[in-house]
Amino acid sequence: MFYRRAGIRHTSYRAERQLWPLPFDRALVALVFALLVLAPLYLGDLYLAGYLLPWIIWSTAALGLNFLMGGAGQIHLGYGAVMAIGAYTSVHLVRAGVPLEVAMIGGGLASAAIGIMFGAAALRVKGLYLAMATLAMQYIVDFVISHVPAISGGTQATIQVPTVRFLGVPIVGNTATYYMALAVGTVVTLFMLNARRTSLGRALAAVREKDYAAEVIGVGTLRYKLLAFWISSFIGGVVGAVLAVCYLRSISPDQFHIELSIQLVAMVIVGGLGSVLGSFFGAALILFAPIVLNNVIGSLSDTFALSISSDLRAHVPLMLYGALIIGFLLWEPLGLAKIYANVRDYFLVWPFRHARR
Amino acid sequence: MSAAADGPPTLIAALARNAAEHGRTVAVRERDLGIWQEYSWTAFFDDVMAAAAGLEALGLKPGTAMTVIGDNRYNLYVAMLGAVALGAFPSPVFPDVPPQELTHYTRHGAPDIAVAEDQEQVDKLIELRGRIGRPAHIIYDDRRGLGEYTAEGLVAFAHVLARGRTRLSAEAGLKADIASRAGGDDIAVLLHSSGTTGAPKGIAPRHRHVIAAVRNAAAGGYFHTGEEHYAYLPTAWIGDFVFTVCAGIMLRFHINIPERQETVLGDLRQVAPTFYLAAPRAWDNMLTHVQVGMADSTPFKRRLFDYFMPRAVARERRRLAGESDGLRDRLMGLLGEMLVFAPIKDSLGLSRTRRAYTGGEALGEDTFLFFRALGINLKQFYGQTETSAFTAAQDDGAVRLHTVGRPLPGVDVRIDDSGEILVRSQSVVDSYFDDPDATAKAFVDGWLRTGDAGSIDADGQLVVLGRVGEVVRTAAGERYIPNYIENRLKFSPYIRNVAVIGAGLPVLNAIVCIDFDAVAYWAEQRGIASTSYADLSQKPQVLDLVRDVIARSNQNFEPGLRIHRFVNLHKDFDADDGEITRTRKLRRNVIEERYAPLIAGLYDGSTEVSFDARITYESGETGTMRRTLAITEVAT
Repeated sequence: MFYRRAGIRHTSYRAERQLWPLPFDRALVALVFALLVLAPLYLGDLYLAGYLLPWIIWSTAALGLNFLMGGAGQIHLGYGAVMAIGAYTSVHLVRAGVPLEVAMIGGGLASAAIGIMFGAAALRVKGLYLAMATLAMQYIVDFVISHVPAISGGTQATIQVPTVRFLGVPIVGNTATYYMALAVGTVVTLFMLNARRTSLGRALAAVREKDYAAEVIGVGTLRYKLLAFWISSFIGGVVGAVLAVCYLRSISPDQFHIELSIQLVAMVIVGGLGSVLGSFFGAALILFAPIVLNNVIGSLSDTFALSISSDLRAHVPLMLYGALIIGFLLWEPLGLAKIYANVRDYFLVWPFRHARR
Repeated sequence: MSAAADGPPTLIAALARNAAEHGRTVAVRERDLGIWQEYSWTAFFDDVMAAAAGLEALGLKPGTAMTVIGDNRYNLYVAMLGAVALGAFPSPVFPDVPPQELTHYTRHGAPDIAVAEDQEQVDKLIELRGRIGRPAHIIYDDRRGLGEYTAEGLVAFAHVLARGRTRLSAEAGLKADIASRAGGDDIAVLLHSSGTTGAPKGIAPRHRHVIAAVRNAAAGGYFHTGEEHYAYLPTAWIGDFVFTVCAGIMLRFHINIPERQETVLGDLRQVAPTFYLAAPRAWDNMLTHVQVGMADSTPFKRRLFDYFMPRAVARERRRLAGESDGLRDRLMGLLGEMLVFAPIKDSLGLSRTRRAYTGGEALGEDTFLFFRALGINLKQFYGQTETSAFTAAQDDGAVRLHTVGRPLPGVDVRIDDSGEILVRSQSVVDSYFDDPDATAKAFVDGWLRTGDAGSIDADGQLVVLGRVGEVVRTAAGERYIPNYIENRLKFSPYIRNVAVIGAGLPVLNAIVCIDFDAVAYWAEQRGIASTSYADLSQKPQVLDLVRDVIARSNQNFEPGLRIHRFVNLHKDFDADDGEITRTRKLRRNVIEERYAPLIAGLYDGSTEVSFDARITYESGETGTMRRTLAITEVAT
């Protein structure tokens, strides 16, 4: 109905490969990006710092994990630990007087270096066994961080993030932090959008579909599996730094436990494996569904003056949240991105049912 | 009208002007391996000059023909214009002409050079050369499959171009020389009439004819400068030459050439032309395509379509009858445009089409109204090869269902006493090529006898009835063309064939052959069971259905030309039984003889008639079977 495709013709193969060939999609992307950039102008602090900011950060993290899980088909249950390495490395670097930009890269490199070691397990094991190996990484990293005072600052300690500048702008107040997160998120999103169109993306897809088949057609499995872990862990480390600087402001080991890892895996799966858009959808659902459900249940019980026990009151949203995720996976195993694609297709071929010709 | 008085006198001069004044503008886009290759006017002109120099080096003489055979390709157009620049003339041939018929199409103008699109055409030309010793040189565009060919005189077009370029760069002034050789009185192209009666006649419009034709059409608002044009119609048809080559160059169209004939519809969507011409059958196919797609669509979308479409068609019908829209109509139109029409136009690739035309034969009323209701400005035009394609066209605001519009500016049309349409214009050719007998018959006192029967109505609009040879009279002296009435009836999806009877008889009656698929589907929807074509055709409900179709069609005719009674035949007319030709034209004498008892029954007032139907078996044996068929009255 909204999509117009007549008159779109390409005079070069490069033009044909553009990300959004349809004007409507381009307009939609531009609109959403403009809304995000202008968000501080029209959104209150609560929404900006409490909703939009974590959504951007978690989406970026989900993108990094999606690169590994959706792009290269390697499961990772220790992504929280990867982010922890990045967060602690960059915060320590910043405290040592290193500029934030460099510290972020340093965090990413540290994450990549350690991530690739555990990723090496993927060369030998797959599926559930790789899940176990990465789960082990989660616990080992957790243990090391909390038991090495030099890193965590002591068992129960939290480390404050000093006031820093990013690209010359002091990261204080909601607006500056939001823009910093948005900038990093935009860069990662652009990377993700383009990665799959490159030889790297295609090689990873080959590895994802069948690693020995990829080897047969000349895609070095060793190289690309390790590369996938390296890149994904690097992004995880950078996002860990952003999380620490922009959102947490003081870090402690318990913020990067297994819960965070599971949350990110859920975002990727619910959003849609391998989908850039899905990572944003997944992050939104996993982050906000509990809050929304909580509010809905709360207002329902208030409105109808139901005498719900506080136990039940606390657990019903969680139960619904679980049901929601199970429902999504049953209804559309390919995730929210696929649901969006279905809706888009419905309008794309309007008023017909199928694509014509 | 002295239309050709100003502006470039030849196509080559117009091309040179475009290259000089609009050199960087895109002239031609050709889809190749999925990508649109663009050629600017400068590149186009340079290629044409190089082709001319190359062809001259190959021995192309002024005043001779050059056979061109293949689908629409940029290189073939370049070759055609290259020949034109030398004062020779291209003679495009339909690519599906079988090898033995090629002789007909190459007998004029001594074509010694032929340009072929691909291996298939090269094979035909080599075979032709084996038979008649011509053409000596065969130039091919697509080299696929030709690597092992050792036939003499076989040369790649790229090679001809390269040779031409070498000549042009070696000899200063050669380019200017070639560009100025063609004159307004030179033949621009050699085409052939369709040849339904005997061998095809050669028709060779000169530059001044085609240029006058384009001027006339442009003056009539038929098309404008800078149209987005889609060159997909056969190059051997006058329409493609005049639209793509002549109008394309004179009015600086962007000429878009599809990748292959099989991709024409898909590529159409990428082109989204502003000007689109298609044969009635193509419009019918497009309509079917939409209807099938909608029947298969989701319930909600289908309901929207079923709500808006009939209303839009009814509104268009009222508009054509001269009523203006109410506010409600206009609002409904806007809503329908947004929800249904614009997306459909987009999916067809006609969303930017400002001027859409159909011609050649009559277009069904349903199809015509459907596309107009969609918001496509579909109009009919009328023309012959002899008039360089342009005789008459419908004007905006004066579109009628049964006319082909008014004569274009610069075209005089009159009807002679026998009812034949005569045309006089600067765009009419002087004579048939090398055929004094046919010329003497068709060109009389400066008027072209078109061979079409027609009339001019009170508005000055031209009504084309059919071929003059088909005119017959009833006993009451009423003059009519059975084919014209039959075509109107066949616009109904339920009628596949029909023979209108009445020559020398008091009134018109009809023998109808239902369309089995459409009627069977219609019956199935209504729970009417049938066992065979014969059984289905005699169902009372089916008889009622056909009666309603005829009654509606009768409204278009004067009382003397209305059908009074009809019979549904137990079978379709069949070429194996000799009732129709292989090209689906009725053989009236066979029908009148074979179904004489049936025709007698139609006129003696009986309500049913029994007769022995002849059956021809596949083995060639014949037998008979007794049939009883019902005769139905139609309200007139």
